[in-house]
Amino acid sequence: MNVKFLNPFVEAAYEVLTAETRQEVTRGDLKLENGTYLTDDLTVILSLVGAVEGTVFYSMSAATGAKLATILMGEKFDAVQGLAQSGVAEIGNVITGRASMKLSEAGFETTISPPTLLLGKGASISTLDVPRLIVPLMTVAGPVLIHLALRQGSANGLRAAQLSIPKAFQVP
Amino acid sequence: MNVQFLNPFLLAASEVLKKEIGAEPTRGELTLQKSALTTDDVTVLIHLVGQVYGVVMYGMPIETSLNFVSRILGQEFTEFDSLAQSGVAELGNVISGAATVKFSQAGYQSNISPPMVIIGKNVQVSTLDFPRIVVPLETAYGNLMVHLALKEAAPGSNSAPEEFVKLAVSRA
Repeated sequence: MNVKFLNPFVEAAYEVLTAETRQEVTRGDLKLENGTYLTDDLTVILSLVGAVEGTVFYSMSAATGAKLATILMGEKFDAVQGLAQSGVAEIGNVITGRASMKLSEAGFETTISPPTLLLGKGASISTLDVPRLIVPLMTVAGPVLIHLALRQGSANGLRAAQLSIPKAFQVP
Repeated sequence: MNVQFLNPFLLAASEVLKKEIGAEPTRGELTLQKSALTTDDVTVLIHLVGQVYGVVMYGMPIETSLNFVSRILGQEFTEFDSLAQSGVAELGNVISGAATVKFSQAGYQSNISPPMVIIGKNVQVSTLDFPRIVVPLETAYGNLMVHLALKEAAPGSNSAPEEFVKLAVSRA
């Protein structure tokens, strides 16, 4: 995976988590994995499509998820249910959205999908032939792991079907 | 969810299953679910972005996936190894790709993300505020459950790449 795609995510996650938790966030050691990802209690899944394509996971334990939702929403959550699920998914959405803005500034225009939330430990997720780069972030609520399985998009972000017809070729 | 998004997927799935597997799928009863999906053994997950956005999942038991892959790749599979995973992921990819071509013919531009494969039963996948339409496709080689959680982008908020507007990011 191109390391250029990593920094936008680390920066975005750092900025968003620091702003939301109002506490220091520290980064752990990077890891590259080729095998499948064995899920933690909570995994927020988002996809990127465009000049950079692939998948981003944000994984955490149930306790971290509940604490994070409590801090984010100012309401006490003991378990990640209902509203707390939306809160945890939203944080993944906000980080990824911010990262895609940074990617776009670097010349890689991408679109992000809505978040999908996976609840349950011990399933494995395969990103097939795309290796995963893992960045652990220590927050006040506990560790949050970012998994990036990204590659440069095949069609440079545009598909022929989506290109608008130049004015000169349009029938008046 | 708009029911007009359903037919392109069902048509695409029928065509692909017929061509790749030689099966004549019949459609089971359609249901609308608001709760989280509880996974079967194998789930292929693909996101859509663009004028139609959301997530599509293809769920099946392990035997069905082995049957499908054996038919697609023309060799007997007894183990759900990485080649079998790619085969099943590719099946989801081809169906979703064919469906987006049909969307585009109907005037909805959308792009699909690379597929990912979730292996493991009884994990919950929440699509949050996206209700899911579930359609079982029954074949002689096993049943494929198609889960669609899609929405139409509001006019003007089209997230297609060529309309991507660069946002200014303030840096402290």
